[in-house]
Formats: sequence, C-alpha cells, structure tokens
Amino acid sequence: MSALLEIEGLYSGYAGVAMVRDLNLTVHAGEIVALLGPNGAGKTTTLLTTSGLNPVMKGDIRVFGRSIRGRPAHRAPREGLAHVLEDRSLFYQLTVAENLRLAAARSRGDLDRALSYFPALEPLLGRRAGLLSGGEQQMLAMARALTSKPRLLMVDEMSLGLAPVIVERLLPVLRRIVDDTGAGVLLVEQHVHLALEVADRAAVLVHGDLVASGTTAEIAGRAAALESTYFGAGPGVDADAGPSVDASTSTSTSTSPSASRSASPSANANANPSAGPDAGPDDRPDDPETAPEADLEGSR
Amino acid sequence: MTRPRIPAARLRAGVPALVVVALLAVILAKGDYRTNFFSGGGFALGALVAAIALGVVVTYRGSGVVNLAGAAVAMYAAYVYADLRTHGDLFLPPLPNPLAPIEGLVHLAGDDSFTVPHWPTSVSFGATMGFWPALVLALVFCALFGLVLHVAVFRPLRHAPVLAKVVASVGVLLFLQAVVVRRFSTTTQVVGPLPFVDKTQVDLGLFKITQEQLFVVCLVLVLAVALWALFQRSRFGLAVRAAAENEKGATVLGFSADRLAAATWVLSTVVTGLLGIFVASVNSSVDPNTMPALIVPAVTAALVGGFTSFGWTTLAAFALGMQVALVTFLGANESWFPKADGLPVPGVDLLVPLVVIVAVLALRGQSLPTRGVLGPGRLPFSPTARPWALRYGGPGLAVVALIPGVFFLSPAMRDGLTNTLTGIVICLSIVVLTGFIGQISLAQTSFAGLSAYTVASLSTHHGWPFPLPILAGAAVAVVAGVLVALPALRVRGVHLAIATLAFAVAVDKVVFANSWINGGFDGATVTTPALIRSQDTDTHHVLGVTIGDGTQPNPLTLVFCLIVVVALGYLVANLRRSLTGRQMLAIRSNERAAAAAGVNVAAVKVLAFGVSAFIAGVGGAVIAYRTGNVTPDKFLYDKSLMFFAFAYLGGIASVSGAVTGGLLVGGGLGFTVLNKVFGLPDEFVLLLGGLGLVVTAVLNPEGVAGKARTDLLALRRRFRPPTPADRPTPADPPTPADRPTPMDPLTPTDTATTITEPTASATTGPSAASTPAAAAAVPTAAATPTAAATPATAATPATASISAAAAVPTAAAAPTASGSAAGTHVGGSAGATPAVAGEAR
Repeated sequence: MSALLEIEGLYSGYAGVAMVRDLNLTVHAGEIVALLGPNGAGKTTTLLTTSGLNPVMKGDIRVFGRSIRGRPAHRAPREGLAHVLEDRSLFYQLTVAENLRLAAARSRGDLDRALSYFPALEPLLGRRAGLLSGGEQQMLAMARALTSKPRLLMVDEMSLGLAPVIVERLLPVLRRIVDDTGAGVLLVEQHVHLALEVADRAAVLVHGDLVASGTTAEIAGRAAALESTYFGAGPGVDADAGPSVDASTSTSTSTSPSASRSASPSANANANPSAGPDAGPDDRPDDPETAPEADLEGSR
Repeated sequence: MTRPRIPAARLRAGVPALVVVALLAVILAKGDYRTNFFSGGGFALGALVAAIALGVVVTYRGSGVVNLAGAAVAMYAAYVYADLRTHGDLFLPPLPNPLAPIEGLVHLAGDDSFTVPHWPTSVSFGATMGFWPALVLALVFCALFGLVLHVAVFRPLRHAPVLAKVVASVGVLLFLQAVVVRRFSTTTQVVGPLPFVDKTQVDLGLFKITQEQLFVVCLVLVLAVALWALFQRSRFGLAVRAAAENEKGATVLGFSADRLAAATWVLSTVVTGLLGIFVASVNSSVDPNTMPALIVPAVTAALVGGFTSFGWTTLAAFALGMQVALVTFLGANESWFPKADGLPVPGVDLLVPLVVIVAVLALRGQSLPTRGVLGPGRLPFSPTARPWALRYGGPGLAVVALIPGVFFLSPAMRDGLTNTLTGIVICLSIVVLTGFIGQISLAQTSFAGLSAYTVASLSTHHGWPFPLPILAGAAVAVVAGVLVALPALRVRGVHLAIATLAFAVAVDKVVFANSWINGGFDGATVTTPALIRSQDTDTHHVLGVTIGDGTQPNPLTLVFCLIVVVALGYLVANLRRSLTGRQMLAIRSNERAAAAAGVNVAAVKVLAFGVSAFIAGVGGAVIAYRTGNVTPDKFLYDKSLMFFAFAYLGGIASVSGAVTGGLLVGGGLGFTVLNKVFGLPDEFVLLLGGLGLVVTAVLNPEGVAGKARTDLLALRRRFRPPTPADRPTPADPPTPADRPTPMDPLTPTDTATTITEPTASATTGPSAASTPAAAAAVPTAAATPTAAATPATAATPATASISAAAAVPTAAAAPTASGSAAGTHVGGSAGATPAVAGEAR
C-alpha cells in the first residue's frame, strides 16, 4: 500500500513559534487516519501546512510522493488533495450548485457522484449556501471536497458546531467514501469516540507533540486518559504512567453519555467492542471506587 | 378587525419602482423633456458613467475594494492617449529618485547649477501617433497600471479594514490627479476625434444622436453584457465571486485568489480606460477635474446595482448621466425650479445621485450589521491621553508654536503655521468620527464651509459680534452633521463613505457654488475684529512685549487659532477618556457587541457626528475669521479628501495624529518648509501626499504619530533593564522541549481563573471520595498528566505538583524542566503583564 501522505519531522506554526514539533505521520490509500488531541494541539496547523496554507518550518511533507515545499497552495487540489477546512469556507453568496461546480474540475458525473453521498443536498442545489443549516453546510463542504475526486481527503473538525446526532450520521459517510473510492482520509476530530469508530489508525497530538499513535484499538484503550488531556492536564497518554492509565478505566463508561444519545445501535456496537478488549485487565483500576470519580473528572 | 399589512420587503421594492416609472412617464409624455433627457450628450455622459461604474463593480467583485479612483483612471487613460496622439509621447509618473535629496541639499547650500541624473518624464515614439497604436499602447498602460494597483497597493491591503482600502483609493485618486496636473497643468487638453465614426446625426425616431455617441453607447452596452456573461456564466466569474468572499476556501479548491484579483483589476482599468479615451475623443477634450468627479454618479449606479448587478448598474449609470441635461433644461425653462436671486439653483443634477444613494441605503441598510458583515479588520489603535500629555501637551504645543510663531518666524512660515493650526482642527474632527467611532465621512470640509458661510453672513449682514457667529456656524455644521448621521445609522464602512462623498459634492455645487450664498466672484466678506484679522499689520504691546512686526499675517491671528486648537484638542482627548469615548470605541470595533453590551449605538453615532461636525464647524469659522473672506475653493470635496488623507497619514485615532496631520496638510508648515526651503513646487506636495497616503495605508496603518509612539515604546523597552519577569519573546528559537508560547499575552485575570480551576477540581475529588486513601490518591491523579511528561515534578511533594499542574495548562509557555520554576515563571509574567497589556491593544 503506497503512502499518499508522508509527514516527516514536521515543525510548523505561526509567527516563528512552532505549534507542531517533530511530527511523523503517514496516510495510505484506503484508510482513515484520525488526528486527535485537545484544543491548541496543532491538528489544524498540520492540515493547513499540508495544504500549503501555512509554511513548513522544518521537516518535510510529501503528498503523493512529491514534497510540498515550493508548491503554491492553489496547486494542491489539482494534484488530488482535498481539504475540508475547519470553518468549512463555503461561499455563502453562491448557490449550492455553484459551490459544487467550482470544485468540479472535470465533469457533471463527479458532481452527481459526490451528491450521491449526501442526497439531502439535492433539493437544495438552487439555494444560497449561506442559507443552509450547520449540518447542511458541513455536508456541502464534504460534497464539494469530493467533487474534485480527491485521492487524499483532509477533514478538519467535521463535528464543529454540529449536534452529536448529525455528527454520528456524517462520520460513517467517510467510511463509505473510502471504501468506494480507495482514497486516504486524514480526519481531525474532537469527538474522540466517534472518530475512533470510523478510523483505521489514530495519532494523538498534545501541545504540538505526537504522544501516541497506532491502530484505533490501541488508542481507544487509552481514550479516557486522552480525554483528560482535553481539560488541560497535559499529555496523559504514556504507557509508563500508572495513574494516568488509571483514569483510562473510564473508557467504556465515558463513551456512554455520547453513545446513549446515538440513534444508531451500530455506533454502540462499534464503540464498545473496540474499546472493551483493549482496555485490558492490566488497565483496570486498583480501587474500583475511584473509577466513577475519575470519569466525572474526565468528562466534565 | 386587523388591517392586512403590506410586507416591508414588497414596499421596499415597490415604492422606488413606482417613483422611477412615474418619472419616466412624465419625461416621455412631455416632448421637450424627452428630447433633453434622450440627448446625444446625455447618452455619451451616461456611457462614461456606466463604464466607470462597471469598472467599480468588477473591482469590487474581484477584490472587495470600492475604487474611488476609478474615474481618475479614465481621466488618466485619456491623458495618456491624447499625449500619444498629439506628441507621440508616453508620459511617465514621477518616479522615486534616490539621488534627489543630494541635489536638494546641494541647492540648499547655494549651488543651484548642480544636477543629478533624473528619470525621464516621458518616452517618445515620434512626432505623432496613429489612432490604433496609441489606443493599444494606452490600454496596455492601463492594464499595467491595474496590475501595479493590485500588486503594490490593494494586495497588501486585502486583509486591511475597509477604511484603509478607502484611504488607499483616495490616495490613488489624489496621486493620479497630481501627476496629470504636474505634467499638463490644470488646463483642458484637446483630444482628436475617433477615426471610424463622425458627428453626423443618426435619427433613432425617439431621439437623434451622433454616430460617435451611438458608438460609445453601443460599446458600453456590449461591454456590460460581456461582463455579465463572464461573471455569471464562466468558471472564471464564479471563481472570482468565490475568492472575493473566502480566499482560503478558493485556494483549497485550486484557485489563486491573488491572480483572480489581479485579473479583475486589469479588466476594470482597461474597461474604464477604454471608455475614458473614447468619451474624451467624443467630447474633444479632457481636464483633470471633470472626469474624476464622475466617480460620484458611477458609485451611485454601482450602489443601485448592489455592487454586483451589471445590468442595474448600467441602467442607473445611464439614467444618472442623462438626467444632467434634463435638469439643466428644467432650471432654464421651468418656473417651479428652485431659484436663488432669480437664477436657477446650481448643482441640482448633483443632488440626484445623493437622493438616490440615501434612498437606496435607507431601503437596503440595516440598523445593525447582518451576520457575515462583521470582521472589518483592525482599525488603528486609539490610545487614551496619558496624564503627562494632558498636563503638558496643550501648554507645550502652545509654547512650541507660539513663541517662534509670534516672534521669530518669517511671514510665509507664520502663514504655514496658521494653516497647520486650522488643519489640525479639521483633522481633529476626523479623529472623533473615524478614529474613535469608525465612521468614514468625506464631507468634513463641507461642514466647515457651511459654518464659514454662516459666519460670513451673520457677521457682515446681521452685525453679530465676534465670537457669537462661531457658535452659530458650528451649530449649522452640527445640524448638517446630524443629517449626515441619519444614513450612518443604517449603513457603515464604504457605503457611508460614498454617501458622504455625494453629500460633499452636492453641497459644493448647491451651496458653495451658489452666488446667492458665496458672495459671487469676490467671495463672502467676514467682518473680523482688527485684533485677529490676518491682514492687520498694527503692532500691539502686551505686558511690555511688542507683538507684530508690521508684516502680514498678524501674529495674533495665530494666537487665536492656537487657543482654538488647544481647546478642541483637550475636548477630543477628554472625549476619548470619557464613557462616551469608550462607547464610541466599542461601536468602532463591533456594533453588534456594543449594542449587546447596552450601548445605544444610534445615539452615540449621532453624537459623534454632531461633535465631529461641531469641531469642523469651529474650524470653518476660524478659517473664515482668519481670512476675512470666504471662498468656495477652501471647502470643496477634494479638500475633504485631502484632509481625510492627511489625517490618516498623521494618525487617525489620536490627538497627536491630528497634530501630525495638521503639519502635513497642503499649505501647512510641512508644505511651507518643502516649498520655501527645498523649492518643491505646489503640485508635488499633493503628489507626495497621495503617494504617502498609499504607502501609509499599506505599510503603516497607524499613521506617522502611531508609528512614532510604537517606536518610542519599543525603544523604551530596549533600554529598560531586563527583568526575570519578562516573557520569552516569540523570536526565541523554539526547541522541542519548549512548550509553545501562547498566542495571546496572559492577562492577570486569565491566570487567576485558570489557576484556581484545576485546584478546585483537585479539591472536589477528596471531598467526594469516601476513604482517606482515595483522598490522597485523587489529587495526585489530577496532577499526574503533567507529572508524566515532567519527571522532575513527579518527585516533588503533592502540593508542588498541584501548583505545577495548575500552572502548566494555563501558561503552556512554561519550560517543563521544573514544576516550581514554571510556577514562578508564570507568576512573574502575570505580574509584568499589566504594563504590556496596557501598551498593547
């Protein structure tokens, strides 16, 4: 399997300060890689840098085997890289159809294929993008990215500002897209559990450092420790740190709030098996009574 | 029973449509109205206005800039073409010459024969040039000019506030006018006819039109359709619209927003230039003033088209061009036409765009900006006056200006200083309106002029004693200012700039050019007390000191101006310090947020316009008293643009900026020094002003005074001994071990709140836990995520690790090596922060 995206020793940031340090990451064709981490971890920076919207300070990024250094940002889509930006960057003054047409490099066929993933957009084609709801806008952003037939798709915070129910319906579409087209996906997501449901592999960034990476199952085993980092307690995913693994006991319990809200039973079914076995007996807390407390801490 | 309500939206569309239809019906019904409205000259003017408007729309759609210099580009192209046709010369704008200062210094030293090599002023292509080569060359020049405008001026400004873009386009307008005046003087230039059409009349049934006029009209209509097709049907047009709205979004779809904007700039300058050349040929002449003023009807037309619709823009432009001839006819023949002293009131044709603008804005505008309109970019920082500045600034300025001004300066320099002082007053009025509350008014000298004429009338015809007319004049200005504020309640940014510009142009013609008001050729006389009359040459003895040396201007005039400047300076400085000032700044940064915070946006806006007009009115009155004679030329709309330019150049958001602006204004002290000491000709000053404005808008949006202030602060920091409390600067090379520096400087409150949060969560743990063992375990667990990354803290006692945990997430800048060091570090920086935060925004 060839690597669509290879990030090697990347340093990137703003105003001379590296927000991402020494990042190594690859995305292969046909897989979804979730890039996880708390606010300010450098996830969006990584994506922007890959798109060429932010300069590389040190290290290298190769997209489809070619270094992105010296490539103007607007050249990337032509090479097959699509980026759904965090703010979606829709053109609110243009209609849905016009938004899609801008991305359709080749034919009407691409447009129809992209729409087939989001049939809800069909009746809205003549409407201005600015008049769509948040969920519809996100669908449009995704559809627009798909219209250009990308080989590598980067999706930034698909869930931002959306109700969990909508996110739970949107994320599985990514899986379908990858299975249908064989594209690679780099997914940045704050909803760790939802992201882990659809992803094949995951990497965790905390304060710009890669603190964990591996298969979804491996990461899911430490999901709660991961969540604790969202509340600013610093990098918690460390195999050697006993207490931090303590906190990870809550994996199964802490999924439950979001999972119980989920409409689809498959989401539950997915979440628990992947988290369950890998949480492992050695990850069990010494004192069972502290577990609910830790969970409360983590999800607050 | 409830009455059915007419939907407001339908009313908004229906009423203007009815008015337009009714007007058209009247025009078509009366034979002589029809022939005057559908006249060849009207069509030609309409075509030119339409071309300029189309150019404005193209530029706006491509780069979001309302190019107030659009009409000046048409004028400039016509000059380039005319010069190529008649002399075969392609004239060049004055280019910066690094050697020029050397020459200036040598001349200053007394050797006038010394010269250094200079750039050529023109490139010669032979004695004359044929039509086609001249046209092509002129258009190539236009295309290049469009490209230069994009690359050098508007691309650097693409994320700048609307204000900066307006200022830059005003700068370009002034620059183009100044270049033409410099090369050709203000006289009218003859332009040869077009070779393939002539002046034979074509009868179109409803009206007659000459061949060349018909050609120009058809050309504009074809261009409008072509542009519409380009923007509506082509992928390029779609991409331009997309990129104008969201540059990043367009980039990730594979479009270079930069290239698209460049293409639209070239397109607009070529379209505008082409019609400028053709209409100048049809009219057989071009001059530096007529065409640039067409920006008002052109922008009005663009406004009718919502800056997007080519069809409505073209229609409105033709209507606005064609109504001029009809209004002139009405004035000459209709008894109901408003008359002044038996003559028809001049400039009613210019009131039409104003009425249209106000109507359009009133119907379309929103009392608060809608979603997506916000984010106008950052305006220059507006500092509060420091106590020392308040205490010593006024007297300091007084001493610095007074002593040399009264006793030592030559009459010319004294005159320049007085001009500077009156300039400061006008700049102060702009500081209040634009610097504090972010509203753009291009009509400040109109307020001043209204006040000046009031002063003239009251002091001479009604015998009001000094200084009562000043108050009356200022009151008139306030009334005008509040009137202008009414559209400002519903529109903002560049739309307001357009409305005020139209107001200024209309006031120029209706009031200032009205011989009933302006006193005819000699101007309106002001009865000035001898003591402050500029022409007074008597010497005065005050406390044993002799003032005056028998030359004009009278030094006491200067004293009078100075008193006014100091008083108004204190007014503005205190306004900034007051609650009202803070409310103004709140409105400036976000009207919605200000309204949500309980600021009465409408009332504060009206107040700001009132205060600003009051200051401008006092300025106008001072100018009137000082000269003893009011002439319109001091208050025309281009003077408003100039003052706006120099206020921005000086620093639009502070009193010191206004003072700097006053030093720079035409006729001011800086000007006099350049003129008298360095021998620079007058037009050069405007040229430098226009250029300086563009450069300031691009490189240094805080103006000269703002730049000086930040430089001074930086210098003071450099010489202050470094303390351990200093934050690490962003320039420090980041190492992998470093935590990233937070983007925003910490404020004490930030630190305080975030430090308490983790501690609180750590303490809630034990209270909720049932066993002492768990109580001991939980705080550690809360602290551990940090400890895991920092082995050093893992060994420290529980309390220390809690403090480290508390410190790290907030600071994120703290070195990870030692928890306690991180704690002190953050504490120290928080202690140092107030000073930093106070100086930064």
